[in-house]
Amino acid sequence: MGKIVSASSQKAAAESMASALSSMDGVSAEVSERTSGTNPRNVVSVDCASDNWRQLAECLRVEHGVDYCSMITGIHWPEGGAEKNWEVVYHFMRMGISNPPVVDGMVQPIITDPTTLEGTDVPLEIEVRIALPETTDPKVASVQDIWVGADWNEKETWDLVGIDFEGHVGMRRVLQPHETPVGFHPLQKQHKLRYHDFEEMYDDAQGFLRKPSDAGKIK
Amino acid sequence: MTHGLWTLKIKVDGETVVDTEPDLGYIHRGVEKICEARDFTQITTYCDRLCYASANTWSHSYIYAVEDLLEVEVPERAEYIRLIAVELQRIASHLMWLGAYGPDIGNLSVMVWCLREREMMMDLLQELGGSRMHYNFPRVGGVKRDLPHGFAQRARAKVSLFLNRIQEYEALFDESTIFLIRTQGVGYSKAEEMVNHGVTGPNLRAGGVNYDVRTSHPYSVYSELDWEVPVERPSVKGADCYDRYRIRVEEMRVSAMMVLEALEKIPRGADTYHEPGDPALIAKAPSRAPEGASGSHHFEDSRGESMFYLAGGGEARGKNPYRVSIRSPMFITIPYASKCMVGYKVADIPAIMGSFDPCIGETDR
Amino acid sequence: MMATSDWLDLRGWIEGLVGWSMDNVHDALPSDDIDGTVTISLPTGIWPEDIILGRVFNLQDGFGQIQPALEGFFAATMICTVVFTTMMLTMLPIPYIERKFIGRLMDRLGATTTLRSLWIGESGVTAGKWWDQLPFGMGAPVGWLNKTLNSIWGNDHELEAVSRVNNRGYHGYWFLLPGFFQAFADFTKFAGKEHIVPKEADRTVYEVAPVIIISTTVLVFAFVPFGPHFYAASPELSVVFMMAIFGVAPLGVFFAGWASNNKYTLIGGMRSAAQLTAYEIPLLITVLGVCVISGSFNVIEIVDFQAQESNVWNLFMLPLGAALFLITMIAEVERIPFDMPEAEAELVEGWWTEYGGMRWGLMFAAEYQRCYAACILFALFFLGGWEAPFQGTMESIPIAGGGLELLFSLIPGIVWVLIKAWLLFAVFVWIRASLHRVRTDQILEFGWQWLLPLSIVNLAIAMFLRVWVWDGSWGIVAPAVMILSGIVGLVILVADEDKEALESMTRPYSTYAVTKAYPGRHPQTSLEDLQRQYTAYTAVKAATSVSLSETEAGS
Repeated sequence: MGKIVSASSQKAAAESMASALSSMDGVSAEVSERTSGTNPRNVVSVDCASDNWRQLAECLRVEHGVDYCSMITGIHWPEGGAEKNWEVVYHFMRMGISNPPVVDGMVQPIITDPTTLEGTDVPLEIEVRIALPETTDPKVASVQDIWVGADWNEKETWDLVGIDFEGHVGMRRVLQPHETPVGFHPLQKQHKLRYHDFEEMYDDAQGFLRKPSDAGKIK
Repeated sequence: MTHGLWTLKIKVDGETVVDTEPDLGYIHRGVEKICEARDFTQITTYCDRLCYASANTWSHSYIYAVEDLLEVEVPERAEYIRLIAVELQRIASHLMWLGAYGPDIGNLSVMVWCLREREMMMDLLQELGGSRMHYNFPRVGGVKRDLPHGFAQRARAKVSLFLNRIQEYEALFDESTIFLIRTQGVGYSKAEEMVNHGVTGPNLRAGGVNYDVRTSHPYSVYSELDWEVPVERPSVKGADCYDRYRIRVEEMRVSAMMVLEALEKIPRGADTYHEPGDPALIAKAPSRAPEGASGSHHFEDSRGESMFYLAGGGEARGKNPYRVSIRSPMFITIPYASKCMVGYKVADIPAIMGSFDPCIGETDR
Repeated sequence: MMATSDWLDLRGWIEGLVGWSMDNVHDALPSDDIDGTVTISLPTGIWPEDIILGRVFNLQDGFGQIQPALEGFFAATMICTVVFTTMMLTMLPIPYIERKFIGRLMDRLGATTTLRSLWIGESGVTAGKWWDQLPFGMGAPVGWLNKTLNSIWGNDHELEAVSRVNNRGYHGYWFLLPGFFQAFADFTKFAGKEHIVPKEADRTVYEVAPVIIISTTVLVFAFVPFGPHFYAASPELSVVFMMAIFGVAPLGVFFAGWASNNKYTLIGGMRSAAQLTAYEIPLLITVLGVCVISGSFNVIEIVDFQAQESNVWNLFMLPLGAALFLITMIAEVERIPFDMPEAEAELVEGWWTEYGGMRWGLMFAAEYQRCYAACILFALFFLGGWEAPFQGTMESIPIAGGGLELLFSLIPGIVWVLIKAWLLFAVFVWIRASLHRVRTDQILEFGWQWLLPLSIVNLAIAMFLRVWVWDGSWGIVAPAVMILSGIVGLVILVADEDKEALESMTRPYSTYAVTKAYPGRHPQTSLEDLQRQYTAYTAVKAATSVSLSETEAGS
């Protein structure tokens, strides 16, 4: 049968990491169980204060061997209140990958049997959420030097959401054109989608509300 | 060739590349923003159009994330049908890549050959999904329709024919000294460096490690099938273009075997037909997400690990997700591939970029 | 030594025609002296003698004096026109061969595509069994051939859907050679297009470059004989001139790449200049080898040497030289695998990106003309030119030889030259469809480090053969040794070296066994066999046929 990581060892590894992380300042970690259609999976879910983020990131990388930054999401909660006006969600994975060794001039690929992985070898997902208070220029410490994979993710988050990353070298627009006006970050909630909440297809198929001067005409 | 629209600025010294800077965003369509105003079912169509060459993997990646958000359990038959669709799509995506990589290196014939086999896969996917490219196939909680009548027979015939034809592509590439001198020793990349940069999928497995999201963060019914993660033995200095080419050929084989096996193992047999809406095919799913919930899912896309993160809306806006965040493997791999090019010749640029299999649709979203 | 000859004595006819017409003109002119003098007599005191201005002239004699030059001029003009027209017309099958053959190779639809696609029946019957429509059952052998080839390397499949992928209908009337007039249509279209010069381009050089390329290419054909009496000019050193003119085109390419004010064309022009220069030298030395072995720098004498004196084609005496000529010529005409300068994946069209309209059309034609020149030169240098294969041997057969000689004399030499050139072009197309593009620095490395020494070795072999082995004929030993060495060299190159290293170093780590493809390898597995094969994969089949009422959804 196809070999997969056993759910129990993943759960155990997640719990041990969560308890280790909870002992840090400003960090509270727990294991949340998710479903994936048919398989359950256990994710280490961490809430961190933005001041302690850099320390947590270094701890994750050095002590827990988290070597892969998957995605950085920025969310704007204008109705979240003073505590959670902005949120940055990081997704990491601990993959446990190292360069395959070279024996007698030939590389030996590392073939691991996922069913036998235990403890710190088990691949894990880690989700870190940082809530930022109400402010006009939200910022978080950058982890560009810890995981290079965070580099373009941070650029994209700033480009689209507007959350700045302190210490990021070479911040620039990546998905929007370079000459986008300063301060324009489309995923903030004050920017409405054209026809946000308005189903043009059903309510105004001919588009008259868009251009009132055309009302009455048959297009 | 048919990778998509983007700019790569290179600084050259004669014919040697000294510095590179990729420039993306030409087909940025604002999918993440649009999805905030769409129902969970409507978003599936957008996800097909993220990477149009590999549409099924993206819509399934999204659907699993929604099922995590809404806490829905999927019936097993539906999981098998989804697996068949995803693996057929993986074969089609890799064939498209191979058909574009050949002309990049200079061989014009292989494009027609690969696209001809891809036609077979697209015929099968058309039977499943209704159209040749953007299928809108999965539904929240399962699939809409069962395997069509006679699908299993046609799929077996086509996939086994395809397994024979792979050997012809291998003959054309592996036995050609010119291909070997073009791709071996070009574009080295090492496994640890790749992981740190965020590169996964076939590009990482070409580096000699058998990391696959299907086994490490398991989903669907991959555990029920008898398969092994394809790994490539890279060269001593790292994985070069040749290794990345070979891993994808092996992946095509593995996916083809998985499809054949899934057709055998599917619960109640591949030839029984259930009406749409049958509980064997789809489970009842709530249409609104509970407040404060979030759902995420890592998925093995043809190009790497893709991920969706959905922040749910609650009663006030429960039908639409509050935020959809899409992780595109290529968005991260293209800057890495650009770094890989430094030190090689200008003529190596198509070889290296092509071997990483970029698809700009998912990069720019 | 009598030179080879055939009945298509074009030069003779044209010279005869011109001579006859000039003679008629000569005879038609008046033959009397015409007094055209004017005598001025001045008084003796001023000038003692008569001043005679003008002279007596005779029209006929005067014409007779310029007649040879006039005859030469007219004959040359007419023969050049005829040869040029022949060259252009016989070049028309070249793009046709390229398109059709590449299409077949790319589609790889199996051995019987060409047979099947020759005719579509009425009412849109697609790619059907046209052989059944022939009267008196004449097509039955074709049908049998089709069936046999399909069963060995076939494409038909039980399932209609799979067959549909394999079969490509061909709609047209075979006797009109569909696709043949595409070349005309293309050039008519190019003629009507606008001539655009980039704003910052170096205008003079930009305009001069296509002139250089096109004119030097056409000039090569001035010395190419299509038959023993079918050439525009044949000086003693015609090979030298042809190679010299052939080698001027890289200059035009370099001009074009530079003058277009486009960094991509500049890269393409640089690559092209480097590549063409690198491959000129082995080409010239190889041709030198051919001339040494044939004893002359004149193309017609080279062909006569093969046809008459030695009775062995130079291909068999100089297999290395033939291979070198082929490779260097493919590099000279910039076809895959050596088409880096115009690599479409990287440089749009390379050094000719900025040219449009007729300039591009003519340069595109010039590329095919160079290809065609290469093919014809190979046929003339190595394949015996206008001699049929084994013609000399067949004609010396005791009784039947006379009949065969008569048969061969009916076929003009140009037919053989063209057949050989077109077949060789098909080989060029075959190479183009199957090989990858070599990188520029690898091309240069190959040219300087491998081809140049090999061409010198070839020259040495040629000199050895001519000086020490040639004594009026090649004998038996020399051709046999050379042919054997050629075959051995080919086998060594083709055989897979170091299979174990190939297997262990580059085979992937995978549990599935991999076997390489070869023609005829497809097992025609029937559907039942397939199902049996893959049901043996797992033992779950029995457990999956459970009725609906027993299980609940999701288990």
